[in-house]
Amino acid sequence: MRIKYSLVLLWCFPLAAQTPDSCRDLSRRGRLSEAAGCFQKLAASSNPYWRAEGFWGLERYDEANEQFRAAVKLEPKNASYRVRWGRLLLERFNPPEAESLFEEALAISKNHPGALLGLALVAAEGFESKAVELAEKAALADPKLVDARELLAALALEDSNPQRAIEESDKALVISKEALGAMAIRATIDWLNDRSETPWLNRILAVNPVCGGVYATAGRFFVLNRRYEEGVRFYRKALELSPRLWEARSELGVNLMRLGQDEEARQHLELCYRNYYRNAATGNSLRLLDSYKNFVTLKSDNTILKLHKKEAELLEPYLEAELKRAIRTYEQKYKMRLTQPVQVEVFPDHEDFAVRTLGMPGLGALGVSFGYSVAMDSPSARKPGSFHWASTIWHELSHVFVLTATRHRVPRWFTEGVAVHEETAVSPDWGDRISPDVILAIQEKKLLPVAHLDRGFVRPSYPAQVPVSYFQAGRICDYIARQWGDEKLLDMIHSFAQVKTTPEVVEQQLGLKPEEFDRRFLAWLETDTRKTVQGFAEWNKRLRALAELAKAAKHDEVIREGLAIRDLYPDYVEAGSVYEFLAGAYLAKNDRAAAAAELERYAAIGGRNPATLKRLATLLEELGRKKEAAAALSRLNYIYPMDEELHRRLGDLWLEEGNVQGAIVEYRAVVALKPLDQAASHFSLAKAYRAASQLDQAREHLLLALEAAPGYKPAQKLLLELSQ
Amino acid sequence: MKLTALLLATTYYVTIAGLGGEPDYEQRFTTWAQEIDKILKSGAGDAKVETLYGPAATRAGLRSLLERIAREAGPQDLLVLMLIGHGSFDGADYKINLPGPDISAVELAGLLDRIPAGRQLVVNMTSASGASILALEKSNRVVIAATKSGTERNATVFPRYWVEALRDPAADTDKNEVITALEAFRYADRKTAGFYESQKRLATEHPLLEDTGKGEGVRAPSPENGQGLVAATFPLVRFGDAQRLAQDPVKRKLLVKREELEQQIDRLKYQKAALPAEEYRKQLAALLLELAKTQAELDK
Repeated sequence: MRIKYSLVLLWCFPLAAQTPDSCRDLSRRGRLSEAAGCFQKLAASSNPYWRAEGFWGLERYDEANEQFRAAVKLEPKNASYRVRWGRLLLERFNPPEAESLFEEALAISKNHPGALLGLALVAAEGFESKAVELAEKAALADPKLVDARELLAALALEDSNPQRAIEESDKALVISKEALGAMAIRATIDWLNDRSETPWLNRILAVNPVCGGVYATAGRFFVLNRRYEEGVRFYRKALELSPRLWEARSELGVNLMRLGQDEEARQHLELCYRNYYRNAATGNSLRLLDSYKNFVTLKSDNTILKLHKKEAELLEPYLEAELKRAIRTYEQKYKMRLTQPVQVEVFPDHEDFAVRTLGMPGLGALGVSFGYSVAMDSPSARKPGSFHWASTIWHELSHVFVLTATRHRVPRWFTEGVAVHEETAVSPDWGDRISPDVILAIQEKKLLPVAHLDRGFVRPSYPAQVPVSYFQAGRICDYIARQWGDEKLLDMIHSFAQVKTTPEVVEQQLGLKPEEFDRRFLAWLETDTRKTVQGFAEWNKRLRALAELAKAAKHDEVIREGLAIRDLYPDYVEAGSVYEFLAGAYLAKNDRAAAAAELERYAAIGGRNPATLKRLATLLEELGRKKEAAAALSRLNYIYPMDEELHRRLGDLWLEEGNVQGAIVEYRAVVALKPLDQAASHFSLAKAYRAASQLDQAREHLLLALEAAPGYKPAQKLLLELSQ
Repeated sequence: MKLTALLLATTYYVTIAGLGGEPDYEQRFTTWAQEIDKILKSGAGDAKVETLYGPAATRAGLRSLLERIAREAGPQDLLVLMLIGHGSFDGADYKINLPGPDISAVELAGLLDRIPAGRQLVVNMTSASGASILALEKSNRVVIAATKSGTERNATVFPRYWVEALRDPAADTDKNEVITALEAFRYADRKTAGFYESQKRLATEHPLLEDTGKGEGVRAPSPENGQGLVAATFPLVRFGDAQRLAQDPVKRKLLVKREELEQQIDRLKYQKAALPAEEYRKQLAALLLELAKTQAELDK
């Protein structure tokens, strides 16, 4: 999200006469026609660097780029030219080349403040933790570099640390009383705290009466805090003052899409595009809007499903049922009713889903909630077994309730923690399992204090920190529910709605200082995970040996060793799990009951490999445990429902077990998948309808079966029976 | 030619699994060939099944086998040649890798041309097999390739699903107890595409079918592109008792009636777009009921 710094930082260059700085200062003060004249003169200068700055100011970016190239060629040892060129490229959506130029500038002039700041800006765009360190270095290299302080203030606010943001803003204001970026941060903090009147606004407008940047800054932070509607309002205000603030307009478009206001979103995005503001967010969002013609919208009283045409018929019954079940459950649990339908968009192409989460740090792994609007991957977007769509729906619906209940005034860690907690509450096998990354984080004491847990989501300091933070937040909510009861989570929601900070809510609701809460939680977690954490290294080593034994078909040894290590790390149900090795060995010894028992453990913990779950169902069928076999296959419906064989088998089992309605649902899914064997799929559905005494539907599907295969004997027999 | 008439013909099946190069491929190719052999030998009909794999799968062995069939087969008979393994294409010639000298598509075409079997099916399931189509194609010969060109060089999964097609009743989409070449192709093609899609991998094989003797092969045979007409009536696997019934004069009359009804239904289906929905449905229901009754007579 580029609006963040380039807008803010351009405001604060020192005054000089008829120079790039003086032109920019006119611009910064909102004296736009004078600024344009000034840039025009620069563009006509004989100095290529000045021409570059002139063209840049006139939004003639290609020419500016060419002139920077000429300037650098003329003065290859001038680090500042490279820094300014880098800033142009950063503004024009090319961070990799910008970064190279900043690096080149540093090679010419070690500790060049502008180059360090440029690198900090690049890192900040990617929500990288090194952004803070680089900005601090820049501030150290030039203690009067207002931009560095303003960036530090913005980064602190991103990290949910308003106190530090205020301190850094104030430092910037000490350097320059007219530091617009710093004042924008101060104003934003006031607005985030629901103070509608802020003294900072007048101070900003006194410097620049058409300063849309202040509202754009606020818009950005409101969006980052998931307060989308307010964010949109700020972006609108920004554009009222500065209609050519393309970054703000693009962000307005993107966020209108998030709120389901696609038509207006398209207008803003197209306007950006026509004016050559073509960053990834703008282009991809327009492409996504174009692709909506391939989607169908299915409405009920409290849900709106937006599904791709090619899978709508298959997914609708499953998704809608689950959505309604989640809404019912949460309305009861959170003691509130939603005031409008929840819209869920499901993308079969992960790239389309990614567009929805663009610029959102740590978001979008599986789904994302924008208030009443949810976007998520379709199960078809991911490798079978890697995605549990139903737990994602429950997770995102939890956000809808928590965000609504708090009016979007909730820290990231808490809403994620509640959502993760809710996944497990629906079914223990749906929730997060302890992963090797989490084990290592616990071992290395990398879990964050609750007061700073948001940082783990926004600016991870190690690659796995986002998933580790999800796990930690979820377990914190588990802990609170266990120690104080589920009601306490609801109380905390209400406290957050009062715009209280995490330390305040912890103290008020749990009666503990945050540090004491951390101590108790970690002690509880340590006890809970001790066996796995302590046994992990041994398990890891012995699992490799187990795989070798299995490869060598040493079945007795696999069973002995497998049983010895299985419970050291029972949560491990990914590829090559002990359960699967054990089941394989038992099967080789023709002990189907033992094999089934292992795979039942695998499924109960949350194993999701479709082939393994189908094997379990087969074993259970062979053992005459048809109901359990159906249950095993039903799990797969929540994981990868695009499987014709799954629905056919489950339909057969339900029909056999007398669950006629269940069979109809499954056979309808087979038909929806448009299988090659149309005849058999319609015939099965006809049989189920007949069993349900729905004879008209039975005849309908029988005709469809025979139309596809006129000589299909079982269908012919049923036709003769129904014709009598 | 009607299927009823084809039921009385002899089908010669030749399957060859080429050189794997690595134990994994060696095992995979051999297993597929053995499975095909098993399915065909257990099926109904007058089938002569020959399968070459391992050290026996040489150019000389294949030549000798095809030359023998050339001497035995008659014009009413059918020939099915299935090639499994690694193929190569150097820009001019396609070859399947065999122990010892390889054999080229041109050489294979020469051998097949000498076989008098009136209908032939070549299923080239190797990598780069798309490059063999032009050399192999001929009137009344269906050519199926696992890849669309000689540049798709990765090992193929198409044979896995071709084997599945031969034994899965779901492949018999018209439920006439005969899996035709077209039905098997569509089944394997769809499963192959599904494999890459579900694995989120870029597809490295795109199967083609050619049965006009003059095209480059198509992904989706249809009346619109003129492909698939011969393949649609090429019986690959039979698993019902149609062949036994065809030899009984009384039942044969019913078989003829059944076939006529099936043709009427086919014609009606072609007119579907031109007829009012209710009229179409009424006529279809009547024909289907009559067909069901005829079948019930046949089954007595």
